[in-house]
Amino acid sequence: MPRQVLEDTLTADSIAADTALAASGDPSAFERLYRSHVARIHTLVRRMLDADETDDVTQEVFIRAWQKLSTFRGESAFGTWLHWLAVNVVLARRKSVGVERGRFITENEPLDGVTGRRETPELSLDFEEALARLPEGARQVFVLHDVEGYRHDEIARMLGVVPGTSKSQLHHARMALRRHLDR
Amino acid sequence: MNDHWTNRLSEYIDGELDNEERVALEAHLATCGSCYATLAELRQVVARAQSLDDTAPATDLWPDIRARLTPDRRPGVERARRFSFSVPQLLAAGIALVLLSAGGMWLGLGSRTSGPPSAPPQTGGDYQPVDWRPTADAAVAELEQALSLNEGQLDTATVRVLRQNLAVIDRAIAQAQRALKRDPGSNYLNLHLANTMRQKIELLRRANALAAGQS
Repeated sequence: MPRQVLEDTLTADSIAADTALAASGDPSAFERLYRSHVARIHTLVRRMLDADETDDVTQEVFIRAWQKLSTFRGESAFGTWLHWLAVNVVLARRKSVGVERGRFITENEPLDGVTGRRETPELSLDFEEALARLPEGARQVFVLHDVEGYRHDEIARMLGVVPGTSKSQLHHARMALRRHLDR
Repeated sequence: MNDHWTNRLSEYIDGELDNEERVALEAHLATCGSCYATLAELRQVVARAQSLDDTAPATDLWPDIRARLTPDRRPGVERARRFSFSVPQLLAAGIALVLLSAGGMWLGLGSRTSGPPSAPPQTGGDYQPVDWRPTADAAVAELEQALSLNEGQLDTATVRVLRQNLAVIDRAIAQAQRALKRDPGSNYLNLHLANTMRQKIELLRRANALAAGQS
């Protein structure tokens, strides 16, 4: 077994142990889970919502995780379960604040003001900026499909739309990002 | 640019067109430089999305989270109330799996030391209460003895990580044992202790298998 594989295995064991400890009420174990997963969750939330909501919603995800650890049965990895919980918190937030305006992107809607660059070290940041400027619905479909790897039927269920709408939004998002990243 | 075909390019990239549509689109791409170029750009967008890095928050969010963790909402409290009569069967089944797994490792290692752990408790038919702890403790002791003989095959960093993880698990075991002294009849605590013991045996089993593979 290569060393990296062993390290991953040991990390998984450590997370499993911390999950059991946290489920029994150990805040220190839960802090270790927080520190090993916060970047992943914070980034997901930032991409799905507006930047000024990111910290609050990330905190809400971890507090909900603490409260719901009793429902975690270990059938998936803790990280997978936490990710799913985060998506649900984000989507609930989206409904609660009535983020329905700007849900759809029109085919010709530009992302004016975002300067695209060619292959440079800053390219990833430029991509994130362009992504943040997408309308809410298109951005969420793009993040869920192209970044997080969900299927259209799963996204459609999450967002309460038909799969065709998810596909259409994804295509428009890709087209918009393409125009601004490749000038 | 043909809008009809352009609007199908994402579905083409994602493999969601049926065979007839795919063939027709590929025929169009062979003659339409604009759509061909757009396809390449869309693929670049998809590739970029898959290579994005995660970034930690600029400020540490843990202090605020910690302040909002309500003790009386601890998951373990809720869980303990939900477990009922079937837990002893779960316990026995879990320990049986652990011991079977540990026994498999011993066979794989060629029984370098004193032999395989004891046979697992029977789980079929009418359930009879079984005190699994002495058997599990014996399995752990044997695996730890094997690891002490074999860990020289592992590099220092790996051994350090292994020891750190074992320490985490040992703390969990000690915590569960202390809690069980106060509440010996708790099904939840018994299950938690059994699961934690299972994690320790699994970790020891993997470490031994790794060491044996490198000798």
